[in-house]
Amino acid sequence: MSGRHDSRTAALTVLAVVLPLALLVLALNVGAYRIPPKAVFTTIVGAVFPGAPEAGPSPYADILFRIRLPRLLLALFAGAALAVSGASLQALFRNPLVFEFSLGISHGAAFGAALSLVFLGRSVPPQAAAFVFALVAVLLVVAIAGRSPSQVVTVLLSGVIVSALFQALLSMVEVFADPYALQSLVFWLMGSLGQATWGDLAVTLPVIGAGVAVLVLMRWRLNVLSLGEDEARSLGVDTRRDKVLVIALAALITAAATAVMGVVSWIGLIVPHLVRLAVGADNRKVVPLSAGFGASLLLLADTIARGAAPFEIPVGILTSIVGIPFFIVLLKRSGRVWQ
Amino acid sequence: MRALVAAALLLAGAAAHGQDRAAVTVVDSLGRTVPVPGRVDRIISLEPEITRILVALGAGERLVGIDYFLRHHDHLFPLVFPKGSSLPLVSNQAQELAVEEAVRLRPDIVFSSPSEFRLAESIERKLDVPVVALASMGRFDGLLGEIRTLGRIVGREERAAALIAYFEETLRSVGRDSPSGRPAESRPSVYLAFWGSLVRTPVSYDPVVAAGGRNSASGLLPDHLGAPGATIPLEKLLVWDPDVILVQGNYPPEDRRVSVGSVLRDPRLASLRAVRSGRVHYTFGYWYWWDPALVLVETVYLSRLLRPGGGPGFDLAAEGDAVFEEFYGVEGAFSALCRILACHEWKTR
Amino acid sequence: MKVRVEGLAFSYGAFTLRIPRLTFAEGRVTALVGPNGAGKSTLLKCLASVVPTARGAVLVDGRDLAGLAGRDRARLVGYVPQEPSLTFNFSVLDFVLTGRAAFIPVFSSPARPDVEAALEALRFVGLDGFGDRPVLELSSGERRLVLIARTLAQQPTVLLLDEPTSFLDPRHETEVMELVKRLAADMGKTIVVSLHALDMALKFADDMVFLKGGALVAAGTPDEVLDEALLRAVYDVAMDIRNVDGKRVIVR
Repeated sequence: MSGRHDSRTAALTVLAVVLPLALLVLALNVGAYRIPPKAVFTTIVGAVFPGAPEAGPSPYADILFRIRLPRLLLALFAGAALAVSGASLQALFRNPLVFEFSLGISHGAAFGAALSLVFLGRSVPPQAAAFVFALVAVLLVVAIAGRSPSQVVTVLLSGVIVSALFQALLSMVEVFADPYALQSLVFWLMGSLGQATWGDLAVTLPVIGAGVAVLVLMRWRLNVLSLGEDEARSLGVDTRRDKVLVIALAALITAAATAVMGVVSWIGLIVPHLVRLAVGADNRKVVPLSAGFGASLLLLADTIARGAAPFEIPVGILTSIVGIPFFIVLLKRSGRVWQ
Repeated sequence: MRALVAAALLLAGAAAHGQDRAAVTVVDSLGRTVPVPGRVDRIISLEPEITRILVALGAGERLVGIDYFLRHHDHLFPLVFPKGSSLPLVSNQAQELAVEEAVRLRPDIVFSSPSEFRLAESIERKLDVPVVALASMGRFDGLLGEIRTLGRIVGREERAAALIAYFEETLRSVGRDSPSGRPAESRPSVYLAFWGSLVRTPVSYDPVVAAGGRNSASGLLPDHLGAPGATIPLEKLLVWDPDVILVQGNYPPEDRRVSVGSVLRDPRLASLRAVRSGRVHYTFGYWYWWDPALVLVETVYLSRLLRPGGGPGFDLAAEGDAVFEEFYGVEGAFSALCRILACHEWKTR
Repeated sequence: MKVRVEGLAFSYGAFTLRIPRLTFAEGRVTALVGPNGAGKSTLLKCLASVVPTARGAVLVDGRDLAGLAGRDRARLVGYVPQEPSLTFNFSVLDFVLTGRAAFIPVFSSPARPDVEAALEALRFVGLDGFGDRPVLELSSGERRLVLIARTLAQQPTVLLLDEPTSFLDPRHETEVMELVKRLAADMGKTIVVSLHALDMALKFADDMVFLKGGALVAAGTPDEVLDEALLRAVYDVAMDIRNVDGKRVIVR
C-alpha cells in the first residue's frame, strides 16, 4: 500500500521536473515563424557554446532568444506562481476553493498594475503597485469574512465582493486614462504572455523564483497551519507570523505574474486539486508538485494559444474555459464533502 | 480662390438650410434602413469621422452635441472647426451617450459608430429619433460612400459630390506618379503598427494600397467582427519581414507608446529588412476613424515615401494646407497640425 | 511537573470563569467535572493558552506560560481537542507528525527523529500500522487515539484532554481512559481531563475538580471531596453514592 503510493509520488516528482523542460523544448519549436527543429538545436548549441560552428541565419537567434524564450519562461514561472499560491492559500484558509482569483488577489494586482501603467508610466515597474493592492485585496477579504475564513461560502462571497470592487476601480482607471494608454491596458488585461520582454522579466522572474522557493520551504508548515489557528497555536506555531508570511508571499508572486501578463485565472485551483487527487493532502508533496505542474499547464495552454491560431488568443480566456467547469464540479462536490 | 468657393458653398448651404425637403431613406454601415426626416437642423454626432465630414459639408453649424474624444483628445478638430469647442458634450470616454443631455438638446438625428452593434438601436429606442451608424473602416469606398450618405441626409448632395470628385481626382494624380500600377510583387510591403502597439495592425488600409504599397496584414481576420485591426504574434512580423514599417504618428510625441526610435532600437526586430535599411517611418494613420482631408494628405505623403528611393525628405506643408482648405475652408490647418505632431522630426528619427 | 493556576479570570460573553487557586499534581489524572456550561473546556483552553487569559497566571513548574514562546510552551503543555479539525484528509502519520511543530523550524520539514517519535506515539496508543490510513476514514474511537498520539509526539509533560470519551461506546471509552491512566502512571505526565461522565471520572481519576457556572466548587481526591451533598450542589439533582465490592459508584 505504502510502497505503491511512494512509487507514484516518485514518478510524479520526476514528471514535475521533466515535463516543464520537455514542454519548453517543444514550445521553442512552435511559432508563426517556421524554424526547422535542427536549426533550433544548432542555434541553441551555438548560443550556449559560442565556439561552435555558426548557427542558422540571424532571425533564428532573435526569435528563439528574444521572442519565444522570454514568453516561455514567463509562462513557466507564472504557472508555478499561480499554482503554488493557490495550494498555499487553500492550506492556510483551510478552504479548498480559495485561490488567488477567488480571494480577489488577481483583480487587486491587476488594478495596481493598471494604476501604475496609466499614471506612473512604463519607467516604474508595475509589480510594486500590483503587490500593494494584491495585499489590500486579500486583507479586505479576510476582514469581510471575519472569523470564519474557512467557511467556503463566506470567503467566496467576500472574494466576489472584493473582486467586484477592484474591477470597478479598474474601470475608473480606464475612464481617467487617456485613450492611447487605454489601448495597451485593455489588451494587457485580457491576460496575454505575448508582451513579455526581458526587461519585464528582470523584475518578475526573480521575485517569483524567490517567493515560490520560500513557500516550498514552508510546505510542511502549511500542513500545521491547515489545522486551524487555535490548533496550530497549541502545537507551538506562531500563527500570526506564519499567516502574514504565507499571505504576503502568495500575494507577491501572484502580483509579479499578473503585472506582466494580466489576469490569468484558475491555474491556482485546478493544479493543486489534481495533485491532491494523485498524491494525497500532504503539502510536502502538493506544493512542490504544484509548482512543476502549474508551470507545465500554463506553458501548455499558452503554446496551444500560440499554435492554434494565426492571431493571438489571450491565454487567460483559455484557462477560464477549462477552469470554470472545473470549479463548478468542485463546488457541487464540496456540498457533499464539506458540509 | 478656394476659400471664396468654400464661402459661396457655405452661403448656398445656409440658404438651403431650414427649407423642408422630402424625407430620405438611408442604409447605414450596419445594414439598417433608416428613414430620415427632410429637415435636419439639430445633429448629435458620437462619431468623430462623421462630425468632421459634416463640417466639411458645411453642416457644422447644425451640430448641437459632440463626443468626448473630439473634445478632449483630438488635435485637429479645433483647428478646422473652432466653434466645436463650445458645443456640449454628449458622451463619455467609453462613447456612451449621456441620454438626458441628448434629450435636452432635442436632436433631429443622432450619428453613432457601427462598432457597438446595439448602440444605434438602443439610442433610437431611448430618444425616439433616427440613428445612423456610419464608418469607413479604413477603406476609401467606405469614406466616399459615407460622404455621399451624409450629403443626402443634410441636403448637401452637391457639396458632397464636389468633395468626392476632389478626393478621387487627387487619388488619380497620386496613382499617376506612384508605383501602384506595378505588379504586386514589386510593390514594397508595408507593416502598420497602429493603436499604440507594435502588434496591432489594420487588416485593411487603402492609403497604403493607393500609394503603391502592399499591406502585410491585408486579408487577416480582424480581432472581432467590426474591429478595424488584428493583433498578431510578434513573430508574424519577422515572418513578413516587410520593406517598410509605419508607426502611427497621429498623436503628440508624449502620447506615443511605440515610436520610430523604439522600433529601430528593439533588439527583437534588429534582423528585419525595414529596420536594417532604416525604412521605419511615421504616418498619420487613423484611430478608429479618419479625417477625410488628413487621409488624403496621408496618401500623398505615403506615395512619396514608398516611391523607389523615396524617403521623408520632402515638404508637404503647402499641399497639405491646400487639401485642408478645400475640405474645411480654413488656411494653414495642416501646418498647424504638423507642429503639434512634430512632423519636422519625422525626417530625422 | 506541577501545574498551578493563580487568580485566573476569563470572560466570554456573559460567561466568566474564575479560578483563584488550583494545583494539578504530577503523575496523576485530574478530572474536571461539572454540568454543561460549568467552564470545563474553557479552563482547559486557558491552561493550554489556546485562548489568552484575561487575568491571572498558569505556572508549570513555577514558570508562567504567558511568558513563554509558543514553541517552548508547546513542549511543556499538549492539548487534545475533541475532534481533529481537518479540511484536508491527511494520512494518520502526517497528522501525528504535526505534533512535532514545536521542534521543527518554519522553513524545515520533519526529519527522521520526528518520524520515529510519531511512529512511537502511534505504537503507544495501539495504532501500529495505521500510518497510511486517511484520518477522516477512521472510526471516532480511532480518531481520539490519533489525537492523543499526536500530543504524545509533541512530548509535553502536561496533557490536557477535552472530553476524550464523548460519543464513544463503552469499550472505546474504557480503552481511551486506560490509555490516559497509563500516561500518568507509567510516563509520569500531568494529566487534566474534562469529563462529562461522572462514573468515568470516579473510575479513572486520581483527583477531581468540580466546577459550576465558571466557579471552583471543590477539588481533591474522590475520597476527600465526593459526597451526595456536593453532587446535588453541583448538578442540582439528587444522586446516590453506593459501595459495590469496595468501590464507590454513583447511582441516579
